[in-house]
Amino acid sequence: MHHTRRGVLRGLAAGGAAAVGGCLGGDTASGDPNAVEPSQRSSSTTAGETAAPPTADEPRHVAYDHASLRSNVVSGGVPKDGIPSIDDPQFASADDVDIPGGDPVFGVERGDDVRAYPQYILVHHEIVNDRIAGDPVAVTYCPLTGTAQGFERGETTFGVSGDLLNANLVMYDRGTDSRWPQMLATAIDGPLAGATLQEFRIVWTTWRAWRDEHPDTRVLTEDTGYVRSYGDDPYGSYNPRRRYYNNDVTFFDPLTEDDRLDPKVVVLGARLADHAVAFDKQALLEDRVLATEDAETPLVAVADPDLLTGYVYANPDEREVTAEDGGYAVGDETHEPAALPLERVLAFDSMWFAWAGYYPETSYVE
Amino acid sequence: MSSESALGTVATRGVASGRNTWRAIRGALGRRDGGTLFVLAVVGYLAAYLVGIGHLDWNTGGTAFVVVDDPLARATERMAPYQYEPVALVAAGPFELLVSPLNVLLGLGLGLLVGANLAVSWVAYRSPASCGLGSGAGVLAGFPALFSGIACCGPAFLVVLGIQATAGLVAAFQWFVPLSVALLAATLLWVGRRVGTQATRPDQV
Repeated sequence: MHHTRRGVLRGLAAGGAAAVGGCLGGDTASGDPNAVEPSQRSSSTTAGETAAPPTADEPRHVAYDHASLRSNVVSGGVPKDGIPSIDDPQFASADDVDIPGGDPVFGVERGDDVRAYPQYILVHHEIVNDRIAGDPVAVTYCPLTGTAQGFERGETTFGVSGDLLNANLVMYDRGTDSRWPQMLATAIDGPLAGATLQEFRIVWTTWRAWRDEHPDTRVLTEDTGYVRSYGDDPYGSYNPRRRYYNNDVTFFDPLTEDDRLDPKVVVLGARLADHAVAFDKQALLEDRVLATEDAETPLVAVADPDLLTGYVYANPDEREVTAEDGGYAVGDETHEPAALPLERVLAFDSMWFAWAGYYPETSYVE
Repeated sequence: MSSESALGTVATRGVASGRNTWRAIRGALGRRDGGTLFVLAVVGYLAAYLVGIGHLDWNTGGTAFVVVDDPLARATERMAPYQYEPVALVAAGPFELLVSPLNVLLGLGLGLLVGANLAVSWVAYRSPASCGLGSGAGVLAGFPALFSGIACCGPAFLVVLGIQATAGLVAAFQWFVPLSVALLAATLLWVGRRVGTQATRPDQV
């Protein structure tokens, strides 16, 4: 499949392929539930490429010791930056691109700044060092684990190390060269070993759903500074789902195998202080509300049928959450799926084998 | 025999083998059938190599020509072992080509070796003195390089075939190109040594 290439190429041919200008500016984030959880904001960074990325106050749950994780890092067969990150991303309006409606995009909304990152571009780059609403961020995607995650990057940028852990992208920050497995969001090697990145929610949805929900969205274009066969996914296809995204081959062995589910089943995973929970995404979209049972920290997940995604909330008082037309009833009021009056827990889509590989003790809710 | 004289003998034989091979190549390319086979093999192998590393594909869009900014610097950026950044995209007619100058040169070099192998082998096959060497001898040696492409993380052919990768296999695939070069050179010398003299004799072919 070839999507927007020809339109973009005409522009490139006229102006050269050099990426020009910086990133879009915008309003600063305020009151955005997709933004970094306030409790995670902590250290500041110094300016320049030697700066460290901002890290969270509290570490994420990691089920293995770092030495064990380091010993399981394998080469993906490419050198550092062999898969080049996009460091000067260019955007177009929704009307200026021609992307099939069923293609996956990774959506970010921060204040008035709304952006979509098409999967068919990120599969060739894996990391976009961007500024959203003026904030320096990294939008990351690992095709092998089916995970899209956002990180605050401060004044540094992230790159692709070429290594994999649990079949998952291992990033490095260009300030300290620490190694950050994407899904763990925690450095396992380098000067920042043990530190945890500040994360923000990325919505994995379809272009049609995102565009309908956010007609004013900006879309990452193929003007990446590199030439690639954009539209040709070396792993297969999500629209329709084919090859790697649809078979049982994990390509690289997971840290732990868990046959409770087929390897490529998509779960919405959430990490708590000392354990992890996976909600079956298809079941969530069908049932609209899923809740943990007998959990020390009760969680409830609700579906967003418009964006084909879900959100996870801590529900310590086990308040009743009921699906209604146009939202969810909690107490006497109805709320949007992304705005329940409960504490949001960061969650992201993942292939089951990768989630269970990193979090072998994970509970599974369907 | 002292080690010095043994070394000298090996060197002498090597030089002689190289001369024979060179004669065989010249002889093969001097023939119409050998020359045609050579050209077809070079072009065919280059195309197969570019397809194998994902740089040549069907064009499903319109016509386009794009060059990246600072192509000289970009051309030497390494994407994977023996795979370098494309600096241009050319889409025309049925084909779309990502132009990576170093990979085109590499593919051309491999293609020349494959072509020489095939042409000399053909001459050997036609020569009574060759003891029935097959015309495909040595061509298989070019196969490993066809599978040296990467697909984001890992060897592309494993992804396409849906085969589980292992750390050892991923480590091994970086040797596919040097392996091809070594095998092609070895088979060329082997065949050339046998037909170098005969191939140049009109009465033998």
